[in-house]
Amino acid sequence: MVEAIRVENVTYIYPDGTVGLRDASLRVEEGEFLAFIGQNGSGKTTLSKNIAGLLKPTKGDVWVFGRNTKEVPMSELATMVGYIFQNPDHQLFNQTVYDEIAYGPRNLKLPEEEVEERVREAMEIVGLDESYRDEHPFFLSKGLRQRVAIASILAMRPKVIIVDEPTTGQDFRQSIDIMDFLTMLNREHGHTIIIITHDMPIVAKYAERTVAMAGGRIILDGPTRWVFSQSEILAQANIKPPQVTRLAQRLTDLDFPPDVLSVEEMACLIEQRARGGA
Amino acid sequence: MADPVIQVRDLKWRYEGSREWVLKGIDLDIHQGEFVGIVGPNDSGKTTLAMCLNGLIPNNYPGVMEGRVIVDGMDTREHSVAEIAESVGFVFPDPESQFLSMTVEEEVVFALENRELPKEEIEERMRWALELTKIPEDYLEKPPYELSGGEKQRVAIASVLAMRPKIIILDEPTSMLDPIGKTEVIEVLTEMKRRYNATVIVIEHRLEDIAPLADKMVLVYHGTVRKVAPPREFFQGVDFLLEHDVFPPDVMVLANELRKRGLYDGPVPMTLEEAEQMVREIVGGVG
Repeated sequence: MVEAIRVENVTYIYPDGTVGLRDASLRVEEGEFLAFIGQNGSGKTTLSKNIAGLLKPTKGDVWVFGRNTKEVPMSELATMVGYIFQNPDHQLFNQTVYDEIAYGPRNLKLPEEEVEERVREAMEIVGLDESYRDEHPFFLSKGLRQRVAIASILAMRPKVIIVDEPTTGQDFRQSIDIMDFLTMLNREHGHTIIIITHDMPIVAKYAERTVAMAGGRIILDGPTRWVFSQSEILAQANIKPPQVTRLAQRLTDLDFPPDVLSVEEMACLIEQRARGGA
Repeated sequence: MADPVIQVRDLKWRYEGSREWVLKGIDLDIHQGEFVGIVGPNDSGKTTLAMCLNGLIPNNYPGVMEGRVIVDGMDTREHSVAEIAESVGFVFPDPESQFLSMTVEEEVVFALENRELPKEEIEERMRWALELTKIPEDYLEKPPYELSGGEKQRVAIASVLAMRPKIIILDEPTSMLDPIGKTEVIEVLTEMKRRYNATVIVIEHRLEDIAPLADKMVLVYHGTVRKVAPPREFFQGVDFLLEHDVFPPDVMVLANELRKRGLYDGPVPMTLEEAEQMVREIVGGVG
């Protein structure tokens, strides 16, 4: 396995003195699909920005594919880790969709043919029709602007993609579309994906591994199924597992496991018990 | 039954410059004191419908309206937004977008002072609104922007409640908040339901929390109303909701799945407690 990220005893203190991260350590292998969960102010965004090199540790070190983020130039780091902001408008600033997506590759001083190719590839992956090339990003719908934002990150071909709140403000169908798309990038293109989210059903359905944070510390880190079974620790951090998980946890006296992740799974467990087949 | 406090009749609306109708013929009755949850996918016309109920449409937006909207006896085409605002309070998704004042106290009393109510009455209404939204006294001097997201939204709700409108519309009041903030706002909605006999209309994606509070659920889909029913009937048709891009809470999807497997034939559970009871009966009953 290839180590993608190693966070070693990182503390981060903001210029105003707020401690964003306290002695956090984490290792991520290439190809993993993770979720960072926790309340606002728990440290999940600070951790993510340290991984992306947007912030540099006050204490400790972050290694991305074996390189220390304090020593790698930002332009090079951007080819390793891409960070997609929650609000696409925070990262869009060019006059056309094409220029927006081409901005990063042009900064890498790539020949224009290669820039062109990367833009076309990125637009294709996110499902943006060629006809949008010359549109102004601000006149597109929010869903399309988000796709442009993702395409502009993909054009850098980063191996690790961090997405901040991919489903906030999205409805059920839009959330599924975005998450299926990230899953496709993970499975078919080998990207390591980290989502930062409050959306627990989405975590249960898509993330293999979950890192729960509170007060700037990592309080749980493991397979999502195991993390959601730690109901007491999660309750202290004000994190509510999905409703179906909570239902199973109320029924442990009937031998229901505390780590049920889906309705389908719960229905099967009930059926086994009702039909006396267990 | 008394006349509905809100009557929407064959309402159509399209924004100026757009060829497409956002609302394509909506009929809806809402009665005084009802708690109504409006659900549906994004861009289906929920917010536009809400703006038709407080008169912002057609008064403040250019466009074409057909049909009629009668709110508390007022035809929205014949009354100003200010007149309609006497009966209808509105809470936006982003509380900051509606703050006008430098302190919580000023924010809550702002509209009351504008109405030139007596001092004692202003004071009394403010205390009542703050108590209902659980905002502590020592917050009165704080600037609203120093509060957490959930607190800001509670102040926004308090300033609407202080007006004692007959009808309160909340447009996705928790969508911009973190889970703690969402829970705080849902608790306020629960208090409103229990202690304030207003008509409350909430547009919300968090069905797990809204379903147990609602008297009536409305599904808006592509500019039309597809279903209106009390929650238990509304959520009985889980497959219908899924087809319309609405995802019911886990426990309801579970009940539906158990029904398909021939294990359950009862009403759809609204809460975790009811779901627990359902499972205990199924597992205990057969064995």
